[in-house]
Amino acid sequence: MTAGHPSQALLDRYATEVDLPPDALWAVEVHLDGCAACRARLADAAVDHAPSVGELVDQVWAEVAPVVRAEPPVRRRRWPVLSRWAAPASLPWLLTSVLVPFVAMAMDLIAATLPVDPGRPSVLLLVAPVVPVLGVATSWSRRLDPAHELVGSAPRAGLGMVLRRTLVVLLVVLPPLAVAGVVVGTAPALWLLPSLVVVTGTLTLGAYVGVGPAAVLATVGWVAAVVAPSLVWDGFPAVLGPDTTPVWAVCAVLATIAFVLSRHAFRHPVSYR
Amino acid sequence: MGGRSGGTEPDDEALLRRVARGDQGAFEEFYRRTAPWLVIRLRRRCADPDVVAEVMQDAYVAVWRSAASYGGSAGGGSAAGWLWTIAARRLVDRFRARARQEASPRPVTVEPTSPAAEDVVVGRVLDDPVAGAVRELAPELREVVQAMVLDGLSVRQTSVLLGVPEGTVKTRARRARLLLREVLS
Amino acid sequence: MIRTVSAGETAPTTYAWPVQARGLRVRAGRRFAVDGLDLRLGFGVHGLLGPNGAGKTTLIRALATVARPASGHLELLGQAVDSGGDLREVRRGLGYLPQEFGHYRWYTVREFVEYVAWLREVPARDVPDAVQRAIDRVDLTSRAGSTLRSLSGGMLRRVGLAQAVVGDPTLLLLDEPTVGLDPEQRARALELLRDLGRDTCVVVATHVVDDVAAACTDVVLLDAGRVAFHGPVAGLTAAGTGGADPEVGGGVLERGYAALLRRHRDREGSK
Repeated sequence: MTAGHPSQALLDRYATEVDLPPDALWAVEVHLDGCAACRARLADAAVDHAPSVGELVDQVWAEVAPVVRAEPPVRRRRWPVLSRWAAPASLPWLLTSVLVPFVAMAMDLIAATLPVDPGRPSVLLLVAPVVPVLGVATSWSRRLDPAHELVGSAPRAGLGMVLRRTLVVLLVVLPPLAVAGVVVGTAPALWLLPSLVVVTGTLTLGAYVGVGPAAVLATVGWVAAVVAPSLVWDGFPAVLGPDTTPVWAVCAVLATIAFVLSRHAFRHPVSYR
Repeated sequence: MGGRSGGTEPDDEALLRRVARGDQGAFEEFYRRTAPWLVIRLRRRCADPDVVAEVMQDAYVAVWRSAASYGGSAGGGSAAGWLWTIAARRLVDRFRARARQEASPRPVTVEPTSPAAEDVVVGRVLDDPVAGAVRELAPELREVVQAMVLDGLSVRQTSVLLGVPEGTVKTRARRARLLLREVLS
Repeated sequence: MIRTVSAGETAPTTYAWPVQARGLRVRAGRRFAVDGLDLRLGFGVHGLLGPNGAGKTTLIRALATVARPASGHLELLGQAVDSGGDLREVRRGLGYLPQEFGHYRWYTVREFVEYVAWLREVPARDVPDAVQRAIDRVDLTSRAGSTLRSLSGGMLRRVGLAQAVVGDPTLLLLDEPTVGLDPEQRARALELLRDLGRDTCVVVATHVVDDVAAACTDVVLLDAGRVAFHGPVAGLTAAGTGGADPEVGGGVLERGYAALLRRHRDREGSK
């Protein structure tokens, strides 16, 4: 603010309770805010010109010191900062959705040792597109958050928070899916795009009916329409075939557009169910 | 442990980070360094030494208790600035509490001083047009600018501190802004 | 440290009432718990009284923007909540203690209040002190480092109060804030409310008529989702002393409460 340090005369006067012209007062206060050396000079000036300052300083220390001695400061834990990125109560659910791909992988590995039709689809591939949705449901759902009334009435509630939490869920859930996929031998290309479409579609639908119900709907729908039929008839689901990628890509674009159009709805209580 | 500036003494921010780890010695050092400045600054806002002492006590106890959060969520910044923010809010709290007991401690009122005599002592601190504008600002406008810009208070806190309605604080802040802008442009 | 004061901050206030409702209807489940309510609240402490099921909690939830109005007009802090007002702007000025104070059991008091301060978009620099002040104000200073699971019901309620007041909201909504507090804590909490009422619009839903007399500037009596009486606390006292039914027990305030409710029901019935 000011180029040079204030003069000793100015500091001397500032230390006392004598009036200063306002411009000088402001300049000296702004300077002192940012200059430790001048604060020290001011303390010295007070010793000479305003003895009552020192008395007050000692008097207050006599009150503050016992508090400081009696109360060791609390150790600060770092992990609660994570709650800015993931719903605080969602941890158990996230862990569950991390386990799902490994359970599916185990089923596939066991199935491989059994004398069944080699053409039957991998369980992992069948469930992979809906695994991330399980996590997304936990990130913006009233039922799973005990403090939902507080979250829902906060200015942070809305698109930003939903996106932030969704991103974390994807970062947590996708690597285990990929690892399990490598073990079983499913190409990520087959499930990655569908799973992103399902996530985006769920969020878009969730903007109007609540993310929780939308996730349930998406999961149940997927199981009923894709997983169950292919397990029952031991057929490879047509929707996950290698030649469907362009279709999924178009779906991804459409879902993204729909999501962008519905972004404002996330501020309203309807989306948070 | 040393300050970033290369000196042997740790700077205030480094001290505060040690306070955050529960270092009582660092806290005492921080107190010794900043308390005279804080007393003087508070005395220029509140004429009652008892209130100043209470605010000082509140502020430093609050620093001790919440220092752990200083480096974290507060993201560092000037330690003195942080201390002042805390003290200014506690001062407003005191005014609020006093208002309830209807013995409001009057803030130090700014009285117009004769500029000619002061110039000699003070020298030129601000650019002439700015200094002139600040001096010419009516006292009631000046105290609003001081509370909001210099002391970092919100409109509501300013209204409690000065004992005027929020609407008046806003009107005065707008008028002051217009006057100062005319000079600065 | 010179602060930049934005033009928005000093822009004139565009609303006369922090809370303004006209013909407001809000659903709770299938029925309308708030049904054609007209209300204007200024700064001060407003006691929301009424029998169970009168719509107190639903009204508070609508004011907290977690229950959406089904019809009617609701304006909070100058934003028309029912028709495209800026919800985020309203919520920045909002503090809320819900009836069921859901919390995270393994958080400490400080961590929880800090989390709410973050949710509430309190500037990062102000958070440590704002949190400390909120905790001090509800006398939980010595328990700031305790986890919520280790606290008693009364203490939890005070944590609820602390998280509601953190960051000095302009509109403070408290649903049964004194439940579970012992008499001394209750007196302290009510004193805090009186302090806040000077520059805050505080809405306190309660069933304790004495709390209203101790802390409130005025009373809003709800019955079946409508306002049965809205006026100064003295109005409640007056109704309790003038020609009240001596058979109704309780103090002057309880009698006033019953008399006003009866009067309102007679009026509604004769329509």
